[in-house]
Amino acid sequence: MTLDLTVKIGNLLLKNPVMPASGCFGYGEEYAAFYDLSCLGAIVVTGTTAEPRPGNPPARLVETPGGMLNAIGLQNPGVEAACEKIRRLQPYKTPVIVNVAGNTVEEYLQVIKVLEREETVAAYEINISCPNVKAGGMAFGTEPGTAAKLVAALRPATSKTLIVKLSPNVTDIVAVAKAVETAGADAVSLINTLLGMAIDVEQRRPVLANLTGGLSGPAVKPVALRMVWQVSAAVNIPVIGMGGISNAEDAVSFLLAGASAVAIGAANFRNPTVCPEVIAGIKDYLLRHGFQSVREITGLARTEEEKRRRAK
Amino acid sequence: MQKKKMEILEHEQLADDIFRLKLAGDIGARPGQFVQVGVASTLEPFLNRPFSVHNCTESSLTLLYRVVGRGTRLLAQRPKGAILSVVGPLGNGFPRTKKRQAVLVAGGIGVAPLYYLLHTLRAEGKDVSFLYGTKTAAEIVLENEFRSLVQEFHLTTEDGSAGKQGFVTELLPQVLAEKQADIFACGPSAMLRAVAKIATQMDLTCFVSLEAEMACGVGACLGCVVTGADGNYRRVCTDGPVFAAGEVFSFDS
Ligand SMILES: Cc1cc2nc3c(=O)[nH]c(=O)nc-3n(C[C@H](O)[C@H](O)[C@H](O)COP(=O)(O)OP(=O)(O)OC[C@H]3O[C@@H](n4cnc5c(N)ncnc54)[C@H](O)[C@@H]3O)c2cc1C
Ligand SMILES: Cc1cc2nc3c(=O)[nH]c(=O)nc-3n(C[C@H](O)[C@H](O)[C@H](O)COP(=O)(O)O)c2cc1C
Ligand code: FES
Repeated sequence: MTLDLTVKIGNLLLKNPVMPASGCFGYGEEYAAFYDLSCLGAIVVTGTTAEPRPGNPPARLVETPGGMLNAIGLQNPGVEAACEKIRRLQPYKTPVIVNVAGNTVEEYLQVIKVLEREETVAAYEINISCPNVKAGGMAFGTEPGTAAKLVAALRPATSKTLIVKLSPNVTDIVAVAKAVETAGADAVSLINTLLGMAIDVEQRRPVLANLTGGLSGPAVKPVALRMVWQVSAAVNIPVIGMGGISNAEDAVSFLLAGASAVAIGAANFRNPTVCPEVIAGIKDYLLRHGFQSVREITGLARTEEEKRRRAK
Repeated sequence: MQKKKMEILEHEQLADDIFRLKLAGDIGARPGQFVQVGVASTLEPFLNRPFSVHNCTESSLTLLYRVVGRGTRLLAQRPKGAILSVVGPLGNGFPRTKKRQAVLVAGGIGVAPLYYLLHTLRAEGKDVSFLYGTKTAAEIVLENEFRSLVQEFHLTTEDGSAGKQGFVTELLPQVLAEKQADIFACGPSAMLRAVAKIATQMDLTCFVSLEAEMACGVGACLGCVVTGADGNYRRVCTDGPVFAAGEVFSFDS
């Protein structure tokens, strides 16, 4: 029996549903030392802005129970320099998804305009959810109307796949997801980091120079899973689920909750080969339970739950 | 650079809170490079811990660490025979320099990477002066071995319980005075700054090994940056951990 791991996200056909999460994988080269990146479903590169950004001053990270806080502040070389790094991913023949960030609609447009020329770039992940920059960033992602306006402005600029990365730092993530779907998004990815903070009690001061940071890792998984469950029930576009995935079991739980694909962030830091391990583990799971395609399990926990409820 | 499962061959306490951990396997590290160690097999604590390569042979990797918190406390409990996940070698390491004389300055657990450097420099036939400072006598490790290997050895403790009382940097100008030496230093950042300042004043080449909180250790997360002398950020894990002193310290003269 051949196992079908392929999934479709917009125009993209991914060979499997596993990709690294943006900002946790640089521009790919760091992890290429550990394994052949062509095994990945897609390669998602770090948040890229029109101009170079130095990022926030240190301290930028701190470990917390079950995860970590980061306040990198979108350090990146700017889209022109990023293109060179992205081109180096061409030999892997794996879709490259560029995480696009900006402070204004124009800045997002400018990044896309430059990347449109790059054949290696298969899709954009529009970051409307970075909690670590002062202007823009998360501001676009916290209000459905603003998010929709941004997506509507970007949609005509490209025929490549447009994924919108949602912020969990909202009252109603479903409303934002629906708004960007209506505005033309091909898929949504969630969750970005949860806004958090750590205080050094001996020194009586916040640990991070930015005061607050984004929480990720196993600690956020239950929140992320709940949001994927809710969003995937409400939209008709594919959902890329992430937040605290450390192993195949975590990944499968996101698929069962309704995700078509998953992204792995902070877990790469503790285990540089986590992505290929998760791909192998998903295969095992499908074989063990007699599924022929990974697509069969997307949302299965929800549809089975609905059946059970109707039967009552 | 690779991820390896390595078995603990020896694990012994050398001084107050200081442990030496010998792992089986060849990681092929140069002096000044480091590894990331998974201290727990569970998801908590979440991140690996960075440790300098204390020694490296074709059959073993040795680390020297001080217990300072949760992760190192867990590590200290891992028995002989246990398997640890190790990622490395990471970082740039100390550069090879031309001068025949080297002055090594170790502060506290900063002695860890300088041990390996010392052995390498001696194997290359260089003259080494070793300055070693700790807070107190109970933190001193491997003193006899250092004494037997080097041309000149100086010990200081802040409380005067061994060696000369004071900071290790107080001895540095006189040790350097009669020499044409390159300086290699590892220790607390205040010590490194003081060493760098003396080196700058005496116009000598100086390399410092820095620490920072790390997540990935491979240059991907951009979490470990320090502000360089030019105001630009540098990643300690991949641009360092060893830097030319002038790259990371500036002094208004
Ligand atoms: C490149 C590099 C090489 C290192 N080499 C060695 C070595 O050879 N031997 C050794 O004993 N230690 C070394 N360290 C420091 C070591 O990584 C930390 O002591 C360790 O991570 C602390 O973990 P913990 O869980 O015990 O402490 P935590 O509970 O995480 O923290 C306890 C205390 O240690 C401080 N701390 C935590 N992490 C670091 C860090 N990375 N650097 C400095 N202070 C920290 C915290 O601020 C806190 O005050 C190195 C660090 C780096 C970056
Ligand atoms: C160090 C770091 C940097 C990140 N940078 C970005 C980024 O540039 N753009 C983005 O959309 N998300 C970024 N994220 C968020 C992750 O892509 C992911 O959404 C989040 O960390 C949750 O997944 P995880 O728990 O698996 O890490 C970053 C996360 C971390 C830890
Ligand atoms: S620890 Fe991740 S870039 Fe240095």
